[in-house]
Amino acid sequence: MTLIYYLAAAVAVISTAMVITRSNAVHALLYMIVSLLSLALIFFTLGAPFVAALEVIIYAGAIVVLFVFVIMMLNLGAEATARERRWLQPKAWIGPAILTAILFAEFLVVVATEPAATGAPAGVGVKRVGAALYGRYVLGVELAAMLLLAGLVGAFHLGRRVPSGDEEDES
Amino acid sequence: MTDVLLQVAVILGVLNAPLILAALLIWLERRFLALLQDRYGPNRVGPLGLGIVLADMIKIFTKEDWVPPFADRAVFTLAPAVIVITGLMSVAVIPITETIGVTDLNIGLLFFLAMSSMGVYSVVLAGWASNNKYALLGGLRASAQMVSYEVFMGLSLMGVVLMAGSFSLRDIVAAQQDIWFIVPQFLGFVIFFIAGLAETHRLPFDLPEAEAELVAGFHSEYSGMKFGMFFVGEYVGVTVIAAMIVTLFFGGWMGPVLPGIVWFGLKLLFFILIFILLRAALPRPRFDQLMAFGWKVLLPLSLLNLVVTAGALLLWKA
Amino acid sequence: MSDAYLPILLIFGVSALNAVFMVALSHILNPRRPTPQKAMPYESGMIPLGDTRARFSVKFYLVAISFIVFDLEAVFLIPWAVEMRALGWSGFVAASIFVAVLTAGLVYEWKKGGLDWD
Repeated sequence: MTLIYYLAAAVAVISTAMVITRSNAVHALLYMIVSLLSLALIFFTLGAPFVAALEVIIYAGAIVVLFVFVIMMLNLGAEATARERRWLQPKAWIGPAILTAILFAEFLVVVATEPAATGAPAGVGVKRVGAALYGRYVLGVELAAMLLLAGLVGAFHLGRRVPSGDEEDES
Repeated sequence: MTDVLLQVAVILGVLNAPLILAALLIWLERRFLALLQDRYGPNRVGPLGLGIVLADMIKIFTKEDWVPPFADRAVFTLAPAVIVITGLMSVAVIPITETIGVTDLNIGLLFFLAMSSMGVYSVVLAGWASNNKYALLGGLRASAQMVSYEVFMGLSLMGVVLMAGSFSLRDIVAAQQDIWFIVPQFLGFVIFFIAGLAETHRLPFDLPEAEAELVAGFHSEYSGMKFGMFFVGEYVGVTVIAAMIVTLFFGGWMGPVLPGIVWFGLKLLFFILIFILLRAALPRPRFDQLMAFGWKVLLPLSLLNLVVTAGALLLWKA
Repeated sequence: MSDAYLPILLIFGVSALNAVFMVALSHILNPRRPTPQKAMPYESGMIPLGDTRARFSVKFYLVAISFIVFDLEAVFLIPWAVEMRALGWSGFVAASIFVAVLTAGLVYEWKKGGLDWD
């Protein structure tokens, strides 16, 4: 199981790096899906199958679909890829990369010096999530409903076509 | 060691069954459709025309597998593989009998939903990678249709989950010991059935590939085995949806006298035939009608079904 | 983590192999005869006009947003559905409020014409 965990973690890291470096947006998104799927696998191995399923259903299956939709709608072509490539010049990413490297080094030091967390995490089943969500955290659920409502209404108004008689593509 | 070997054998068997079934389904569909339309269908090659399955396979494997030069080669090849893989993986959680079945996940139903949400990518990517107007339009349509009906599908199944109190498909079948869920969850069944048709973009919901307006939709540019894989994927999808209907609403393997596997097979065949019958019987709606029907009828109904089921269960318990 | 999940990995391997096998076999068996006509996007025999870079209706974006919102709704209801019996009426009321709030969103979108395709 540990082996699967480390394999999935490696896949997650590599595919995330690929997401950043691809200049073609759809290729980047494909790597992103792979990255999210390997995260789901990591949750599986950590004993949280429900979270793993959500990772696939929500992130890989819904949010990335929205990204793909937007990319297909804007339908960026070769020049977008070329621009993306220009933006990926070393002078653009070298500063953030150095800063991130410092953070990462600090993180490694912390991990190496701190005592490891004791015991494997117990499995978290759906039922336990349900009991917690609709018991102690019920207010959070209702707030989430409000947030989703706001998202729905906001997106509707942002996406609404201004009635100006513009020619729209039939679809 | 023998345990592992046995498991591998079961996996290979259960996985390849839908592939073989898919090939047979193509024959079955053509014959049954012909019967419904008062003609013969393929009846020349071999007994009952069954040889057509083999002939089709040889043909499709030896056709030119053309990748257009303007397409995105890698994504173009990946897209049909996605639909086959996700389809076959959904088969993994379906319990065929008490003992036969690849695995019994405690989140089996969620796994099925996750796989069907991954299946969307095959049409989106095919449409995008083809770099063809019709393919892109077909891909967009297909994905809008599939993601919408995925929501209704998920919500319609919550009634079943409420009644069974579990996501394990084996538990769900076991919970139907007294009464099949088709009776208390009739509304859920209807919604799931319609959403299942839309998910597999079968007729009458085959708008993404409506040949009169979109050539062949997202697979316009596909040929040879890559096209064949979309075909196989569609039939694996039909099999999976039919199997889910049997499992969730019709008591899975349960039935009197005959052994479980026979019951499962009979029920599965029945629903596959219904799928084909619908193809022969129903006209295709317009795309806006399809979307409006989903959001305005199926979504409120599935939410209502959910709340009413929960309320009734709580009242009944009290 | 139970043994139930190992077959999933196995099955992913086997189905991926199946897919690769199909592509590879046809790659080996098929003939290749490219012609200039084949290299054109298929548009029912017409010479293609323009390219695929037309922009599409924003409707699809709205569908995608609605999809995410209601998919999340379903996801919130999933844990409640399994635990419903134990949670009892308090859980039922909480879930009903949750559903009611989002139904209000649906009704709003409906009334404003967001659900009509055109």
